Amino acid sequence: MKDSTQNKITINIGPVHPSTHGVLRFIVDISEDTIVKVDPEIGYVHRGVEKMAEMKNYNSFMPVADKLDYIAALNWEVLYADVIEKALNVSITPRTVYIRTIMCEIQRIMSHLLFLAHVGEDLGNTTLFMWGFRERELLMDVVEEVSGGRLAPMYMSIGGVYYDLTLSFGRRLLEVLDTIEHKVKNEYKAISYQNDAFRLRTVGVGVMSKEFGISHGLTGPNIRASGVKRDLRKDSPYLAYDKVDFEVITENDGDAYARFMVRINEILESIKILRQAIKEIPSGETKVKVPWFFKIPPKYTFVRHETPRGEAAMYLVTNGDLKPYRLKIRAPSFYAIQAIKDLLVGNKVADLVTILGSLDPVPGEIDR
Amino acid sequence: METVERLKSEFSSSLTSLPSTNANETLLLLSENEALKKLVKSISTEFDILFTLLVVDRPPEAFELNYVFSRYRDSALLTIRVNLNHDKPVIDSIAKILPSAEWEEREAYDLFGIKFRGHPDLRRILLQDDWPGRPLRKDFVVTDEIRNWTGLDLKF
Amino acid sequence: MINEEPNADEFSYPGLGEVMFMKAENFINSVLSWGRSRSLWPLTFGTKCCAMEMIPFGATKVDADRTGTLFVGDSPRQADLILCSGTISKKMVRRLLSAYEQMASPKYVIAVGACNISGGLFHDSYNSIEGIDRIIPVDVYIPGCPPRPEMFMDAVLALQKLIRENKEQGH
Repeated sequence: MKDSTQNKITINIGPVHPSTHGVLRFIVDISEDTIVKVDPEIGYVHRGVEKMAEMKNYNSFMPVADKLDYIAALNWEVLYADVIEKALNVSITPRTVYIRTIMCEIQRIMSHLLFLAHVGEDLGNTTLFMWGFRERELLMDVVEEVSGGRLAPMYMSIGGVYYDLTLSFGRRLLEVLDTIEHKVKNEYKAISYQNDAFRLRTVGVGVMSKEFGISHGLTGPNIRASGVKRDLRKDSPYLAYDKVDFEVITENDGDAYARFMVRINEILESIKILRQAIKEIPSGETKVKVPWFFKIPPKYTFVRHETPRGEAAMYLVTNGDLKPYRLKIRAPSFYAIQAIKDLLVGNKVADLVTILGSLDPVPGEIDR
Repeated sequence: METVERLKSEFSSSLTSLPSTNANETLLLLSENEALKKLVKSISTEFDILFTLLVVDRPPEAFELNYVFSRYRDSALLTIRVNLNHDKPVIDSIAKILPSAEWEEREAYDLFGIKFRGHPDLRRILLQDDWPGRPLRKDFVVTDEIRNWTGLDLKF
Repeated sequence: MINEEPNADEFSYPGLGEVMFMKAENFINSVLSWGRSRSLWPLTFGTKCCAMEMIPFGATKVDADRTGTLFVGDSPRQADLILCSGTISKKMVRRLLSAYEQMASPKYVIAVGACNISGGLFHDSYNSIEGIDRIIPVDVYIPGCPPRPEMFMDAVLALQKLIRENKEQGH
């Protein structure tokens, strides 16, 4: 379609496009290669998860929570288990706290490695794509050793975890972490963040100011790349995050490169957390006995955690029944895609893929 | 919290405090729906974002809207609860005051059918336009008919 | 169609020339299907978790390129095979159908994961399709939630065998 008066062209990108990170659709108006207006369309993997929560009992919803964000499944499992435990007034054992912290951080590294791989793919840097997946497979094997699953492990149960850690887990994880730390610090440097071609395509692209990010509700690495020092692991610590020592990574530029660098450095911080957690993990029970069917008295329970993509929350409304009355899921990527419609305006259409990739959205949690 | 004191003096008659079961959360019930826009404007100086919008369908009386506001400098939460008439769920949009509310309101419109007055772009967001019904309402039952509906004219 | 069996009534006594022609046709057919089976270019119709396992299938550890399955096209016009994975929602089903219709014959479908086969975990959801074989014909099913990358390799090898034996559903 061409509008002769304004010289405006409307193009459609997606929903199945190699670089839309799943199924997202963008209807973009461009004028001489500059984006004038963007209309993101979501909902292509909407499964009605919130309605399913009202139809299932509390334990049966766990596998669905697992598949909300399929890149960070364990983080969402922990979040769901946490909201139910808080509503039940169950406190988990100290060993479970550490196991959950370890699993959350392993998942965060896996998610960020996948992000690096995808940004590499979007920029035509196939080597980075291959390397990201190579290192991710190492951690996948570690998770598989403990839980039996790779992508959707189904490891957390309400009141604890399904299996204790295996005997060789700590040693094996530390070996893998050494490998990843070495590769991220040395090999990735040459091919990504100190590589001229990579820098030219990302520095100054999709600059997001602090005020813009705050007003649009962005959280997680995306807002930290704009210089806001905000991390729920530090600001309102949950699990064992108040017992381990780590830094909140921030960058000041707010461009695609800064968002990339935040995630690179967060991988290194997560490795630091994991090393401490492995050293300090207490022995003991990993389960608190919770029956399979239970009722929760009428109340409102709100829990939020820092997932790899930002602040995720669940708001549980119960009415004394075997099933939740309402479960609202707050997905951080939902806000990232909402912001992209204003963020893309004024950029070149060739940078769309870079900017979208640097925000790291996952349609599974956007659409729910 | 000093914000709550300020809000209470400003909206004395229509604002009541409720006990909250969550840490860091302040829960306020707004009885006068028309005052919402003014209240949010007053809140937005302190609280940066609409963290989430929780809609609870409580038939036959009301739709309960919980606006959860958050801020970046600490982990405080402020929840404003508003009850809407179940037969005619209409309320003012706050998307022009807080841009983070725009899609949350579209979602509430899509899944519950709540209308937001003055919303810049009130369309369905997750479901396609010809989708029958508002799925998250309590009177919506997932039947075989709904599950088999594809919206396509297919012959087998 | 090349593969059509001649009608029994008409098939009385073929002459020598016809026999020669049929054998040549069989020979050409087998060469063609061998060639087809070794260069399956997939359209990656990934929507959810299974798509995340489809990527390792093309990446380092499993390496789909060994079987001639090259992830190069990403356009329905260039593809022979849909690797359809993840939940297909009611909004997505039109896209799936239009992608399938755009593909050139012969075309094959692999249904990946429980959601694709029967609705899986989301079978009682109001917005998912219970099995894509209600919409398009499927050649090979991969069970699992999500399946491992090795299972994608197994499915592609199974499809290659089906194509060589002319047993595929593909149109």
